[in-house]
Amino acid sequence: MSATRGSLTYARFFVRGDAPEVPPARALRAVHLHAFRPLVPDEEQKESVGWCRFGEAFDLQPGQDDVFVDEFVNLGLRVDRWAVPGALLRARLRDAEAELLAQKGRERLTRAEKKELKEQVSRRLRHELPPRTRAFDVSWAPGSGVVRLFTQAAGPALALGELFKRTFKLELVAESPYTLSARLGMSAAREAAWADAEPTTLLEEAR
Amino acid sequence: MQLVDRIEKRRFVGRELLLWLWFESEVFDGTRTTKDHGDVGLWLVRELSLSSGKEVTRIQGAAPALGRDAKEALLAGKLPERASFKVSMGEREAELTIKAETLGLSGVRLPTVLDDGDAPAPGELGSTAPTRARRRRTTVEEDADRERDEAALAFQERMSLAREIESLLEGLYAEFLALRLSPRWGSAVVPAMRTWASGGRVDAARYLRAQGPGARGGRGA
Repeated sequence: MSATRGSLTYARFFVRGDAPEVPPARALRAVHLHAFRPLVPDEEQKESVGWCRFGEAFDLQPGQDDVFVDEFVNLGLRVDRWAVPGALLRARLRDAEAELLAQKGRERLTRAEKKELKEQVSRRLRHELPPRTRAFDVSWAPGSGVVRLFTQAAGPALALGELFKRTFKLELVAESPYTLSARLGMSAAREAAWADAEPTTLLEEAR
Repeated sequence: MQLVDRIEKRRFVGRELLLWLWFESEVFDGTRTTKDHGDVGLWLVRELSLSSGKEVTRIQGAAPALGRDAKEALLAGKLPERASFKVSMGEREAELTIKAETLGLSGVRLPTVLDDGDAPAPGELGSTAPTRARRRRTTVEEDADRERDEAALAFQERMSLAREIESLLEGLYAEFLALRLSPRWGSAVVPAMRTWASGGRVDAARYLRAQGPGARGGRGA
């Protein structure tokens, strides 16, 4: 999803607590430390999440001019995941099973053998197929504590919260009716009314 | 109560916000006055989804809220879960879809910026982009710098417009919340909404009066 092209779709998050000062050099070091690292086919890791350049999924070392744009800290959230098509995995597994059975001169494999074989076949396929790459624009305005993630999908939102905390040691809270109310300020009377509020319904039977 | 519980237990309020925006856009013929943004046009367009539990009614079209389907869904106990609005502020118009439970914005069309997508290609009449002949004289680095500057400028403009819309919505939410958490919600607003959903006429002036003097910062037609 892009912040610079087409219509905008985004979710807002707010830094919990006071808006911190973000010294550019330190923030950039933290970003580079948590930059995206590609998945390695022979490793167990199934998903990798890290920063990339805003709008450029394959630039993993954004410079200061890329990241600091006026009052914004702009980054790309890159999420790669191995995604082997199920049909291909099943076909390769069938062939591998037949080969192993012929080698061993048996008619059946044990559950453990099947599990190990599936892992081997998956690993071989990971060497052949690239992982699924997705990147989402992220724009943080430290002065107001707002972080805009240019997608509304739940997965990237979760990944952003974790990566942001690891990188900047700051917790994000997703926007919701309650958080907006809290930001607007609630008197004690309103808090009490809020606690007692029941959902409205126009259901005819409820009249 | 933990923050996460407070957030989850109050998500329904986002649906009521959409209901109220929809209701008042019809009562006040799509025009309202806000304290910080002056006269604003706001009306439903394109898409309206209402739900109750797993039952969902999705209505699409130029004016999705005007048909009986939408009001019947309300009378069946459904409330809006997402709705698209057209917003006009002064000379500018924008379109956006609000997701009730997260207040997330999608499909935000900012005409001032998006018109760039229809801009003439380099060399065409009206284009300000360099022609191929002129491009030859620039280096790859200069091109990259120019592209970066243009992208930064476009981004800033889009963020400025997005923040304007967010500020308007926050203002409307504040107005809604003041009403929602007052006794007037139950005594004046909900009865008027029921009349409206049942096909009855809601008199805008009487509706405002029913909320008492000074109940609203400045709104309505």
